[in-house]
Amino acid sequence: MAIITEGAETISLDGGRKSRGNLTKARIRWVIVALVLVLGTVGGRLIQLGATVTDSTIEGVARDVITASRPPILDRNGLEMAVDIRVPSLFAEPRRIIDVEEAVQKLRTVLPDLNEDWLRKRLTGDKGFVWVKRELTPAIRDRIFQLGVPGLDFVTESKRFYPSGQEASHILGAVNIDNQGTMGIEKHMDDDSLAMLQSIGLARGNEMTPVSLSVDLRVQHVMYEQLQDALVRYKAVAAAGVMLDIKTGEVIALASLPDFDPNNPSTLFQDYNGVKNDRFNRITSGIYELGSTFKTITLAGALDSGKVRITDKFDARFGVRFGRFTIDDFHGKHRVLSLPEVYKYSSNIGTIKIMQQLGKDDFRAFLSKIGMDKPVPFELPEMRKPKVPEKFSEIVAATSSFGHGLSVSPLHMARAVAAFVNDGYMVPPTMYKRSEAEARQLYEPVISPATSAEVRYLMRLNAIGAGGSGSRMNKIANGYRAGGKTGTAEKVVNGRYSSNVNFNVFASAFPLDNPRYAMVIIVDEPKAENAQSGVTAGWNAGEVSGRIIQRAAPMLGISPDFSAMLDTNLVPPELR
Amino acid sequence: MIKMLNAIMVCTSLVGLVGVYGLKYSVEDIASDKVRMERKIERQEGDLSLLKADWSYLNQPAHVAPIVARHQEALALVPTAQEQFSGMANLPMRPAAPDPAALDALLSSLDAGIDPIEQLIEAN
Repeated sequence: MAIITEGAETISLDGGRKSRGNLTKARIRWVIVALVLVLGTVGGRLIQLGATVTDSTIEGVARDVITASRPPILDRNGLEMAVDIRVPSLFAEPRRIIDVEEAVQKLRTVLPDLNEDWLRKRLTGDKGFVWVKRELTPAIRDRIFQLGVPGLDFVTESKRFYPSGQEASHILGAVNIDNQGTMGIEKHMDDDSLAMLQSIGLARGNEMTPVSLSVDLRVQHVMYEQLQDALVRYKAVAAAGVMLDIKTGEVIALASLPDFDPNNPSTLFQDYNGVKNDRFNRITSGIYELGSTFKTITLAGALDSGKVRITDKFDARFGVRFGRFTIDDFHGKHRVLSLPEVYKYSSNIGTIKIMQQLGKDDFRAFLSKIGMDKPVPFELPEMRKPKVPEKFSEIVAATSSFGHGLSVSPLHMARAVAAFVNDGYMVPPTMYKRSEAEARQLYEPVISPATSAEVRYLMRLNAIGAGGSGSRMNKIANGYRAGGKTGTAEKVVNGRYSSNVNFNVFASAFPLDNPRYAMVIIVDEPKAENAQSGVTAGWNAGEVSGRIIQRAAPMLGISPDFSAMLDTNLVPPELR
Repeated sequence: MIKMLNAIMVCTSLVGLVGVYGLKYSVEDIASDKVRMERKIERQEGDLSLLKADWSYLNQPAHVAPIVARHQEALALVPTAQEQFSGMANLPMRPAAPDPAALDALLSSLDAGIDPIEQLIEAN
């Protein structure tokens, strides 16, 4: 016993059960650690995945915008002017391409116009998305699929297509490759409301409500064809025209040559006969001295003021002197002229006298009243501010009365003429369909209905009276009761007015017994058609107007009427 | 008893297994059908948009006019002149209707061998 007690240390041994229990606890601990690690990894990965923002943009542009469709554009009769077609666009995922060289060679068998180096650079790297070629045809898509190159795929894009080609180019404008409007009505549709842009982004593939324009494609075609004919016939550098519905302000046709192909918008920037930037819209963004067509405005203003009556006579025997300058008539009669004669013979002297009787400040105020000094409120974004002096001096007022010394767009003139024949009610022009009831809300009286009747008589007189400058037009458009005023403005060449380079205008309205349409045609630098013909506006802009009316009037539901009674009824009672 | 219960549960789970797998596969089939149909619709919409564009292109005056010009000579096509238009008011009045009674009398007299013209000639 003593031996045992002497031993200092006590030996303690765990029982078998206890040691097994400890071992199990240790194992459970390790398993827990392992499980926590595994679950932690899984959880961490989940968080990582959840936090990743998937890049839904394609080279910085949202996918929705690229595949966005645009509403079809229809003319007033429901004929398509712009439609969307679905086309495949080829893209590549470089990180999934295994053999770049093979992909390049195979792709070039189908698309040989792709640059080899460019393509190799494009397909190399670690990017997730690069465009290879956009807007292909379904046939090419199938051939590329058959190549079986991994990492190539297609997105269906909407591409704008203009079935009317160049005919309505300046009206429609164009879109860029991302389907955003860059000019014309396409741009206006985008600028019009942000809500619409958003709905475009959301409305992928959905049928969108078509937009109806006021244009009549048949009339547009006639105008386009006749303007093209004018370029050839009169060897002109440019020609343009616009036709308005006077009651509603709707633009029935609008064309400007030279033009571009909206299906290939880069043609807008091509030189035309060596002239840069010549393909702009001359109707809205060109401002010109519109010459004698302004006499309609001067006379309308004067007659409406009451200071000048239609029975008045004016001494046009001698030119009007302003210091060193004398203003004379082109084909002067040099006698005392009645007011209708002043208009018919386009007497500058007579018009100055009429303007002076009205007073230069009242004349300037009348120009403001008919909106000549501000851009016309209009949907097309291509606009230029008119140049009208803020205050008229004696001489500027005199030249302005026959359309020199101030520049406005042809659209200004069309709107003014439309107002003059529409019982004096001016309505802002529009590219969209508008009913007469809607237009009436926008009516703004600029002259009285009585003056309007007198202006109608003057315009018709210029077409039927012997020696009237609109007679060539009336010969062609006989029966459609058209009338108008010519304007032959000398162009400024090297800082001086040149007597053989003209800018010709014809501002007309028809049928004048019950007016419905107003039209302005311009022909820039026309030459004589043959040895017998002249170069003044009646010979070119007038004839073009006549041919357009002759073709378009039946389309617009106007039947010819040769009865002389209609013209007699236009004569104001004072002159009968 | 417990063995019996176990057997039933094993059977149930087997049936469940088969059912769930069957469902899964059928859903996958339907899903791929849906995708296929969507692709088809998309392709047809694309084709339709092309056909519509084609149709409106063919209907454009800009497209029709050159065709008219090409066949102008063969078909003697010219623009309508003002004189070719007219209205209902300009149509002449309908000619007076024939008198059936007088015609019947004439025919019956001819049948009877009496020719009024002959009589007139004889009378002169």
